[in-house]
Amino acid sequence: MWKYLLAFPATPGFIAIAALASFSIVPQAQAAALMGFADSTMVMGEFGPDYQEMMANYSATVGQAYGVEFMRMRDKNDRTSTISALSYTNLLKRWNFKGGQANFWFTGGIGESHGDDQSGLAYTPSVQFDYETTRLYLLGKLRMVRAPGMNFDSASVQAGFSFYETGFDQTQPWFVLEARTMSNMSPAFQVTPALRFINKNYFMEVGMTNPFTPEDRMPRVNLMFVF
Amino acid sequence: MKKTIVISLFSLFLFSNAAMAASSIKAEVNGMVCAFCAKGIEKKLRSLPAAQDVFIDLKQHIVVLELKDGQSVPIEQFKQIIKEAGYDVAEAKLVDQSAASLRTEMAK
Repeated sequence: MWKYLLAFPATPGFIAIAALASFSIVPQAQAAALMGFADSTMVMGEFGPDYQEMMANYSATVGQAYGVEFMRMRDKNDRTSTISALSYTNLLKRWNFKGGQANFWFTGGIGESHGDDQSGLAYTPSVQFDYETTRLYLLGKLRMVRAPGMNFDSASVQAGFSFYETGFDQTQPWFVLEARTMSNMSPAFQVTPALRFINKNYFMEVGMTNPFTPEDRMPRVNLMFVF
Repeated sequence: MKKTIVISLFSLFLFSNAAMAASSIKAEVNGMVCAFCAKGIEKKLRSLPAAQDVFIDLKQHIVVLELKDGQSVPIEQFKQIIKEAGYDVAEAKLVDQSAASLRTEMAK
């Protein structure tokens, strides 16, 4: 059945079913690619009022990347924490289909945390599954972000579709909806509709978290570059 | 026997001419759905000394490497480059067409 679904063209009906299926799994905004190609460097960042993250990694071969990451969080009690870490990304499994690609990733970081109350060793393991065609995008991610006196574990799902197909040298616009829960953040449950623009040189996403609740409304920007 | 040798030589002559006339490697690549992710293919292929032009069509999953006159790239090397970029080659062949003509053809 899955083989059939994965090969199925991205019709509106299929997109709706896939999005619902995606949201039915228990649950961070990320692109499908967590690293570039062999001998490439990728830089990515997420920027919002209460959460900022930057990461850079180098892939010597396709499938493994080493890098650095920096996170800054402001929790529900207005306390600010930061984590600086060395990161490792591994493409555990990739499935290349005629009209799509699926990936299963592991990313982990180990480093140092600094908080208003405590500081110490921080670790950030995560797993991610994504599936993408030229018209459809699905992602599920689980992540631990732990340090002494700190817990920012998160779970997220994303589903999106492109408005139309484009050539390799053109910019493709997408609509992506994300649902994310993050421990000790306010609000803990965040829904972010976003517009994503994918070009061969960059990936940019602009969204608004919880757009329908004014007290929780927050802008968010994600950027990725590979060179 | 003589006839067999003549036919063989003639076939070899025709084959050699066809191979020499081929100016591009055209491949169907599985998993290639996003320009940002497939940039590695273009970058690596363009860095080949024999590369004249590179054309990628995401919709039809096609990668074309046009070769400079009189130059060649082994198909296996081409496939390896695609593999190292994270994709699988379903089929690759030499064609007697430029990247520009294939681009025009596929746009129809």
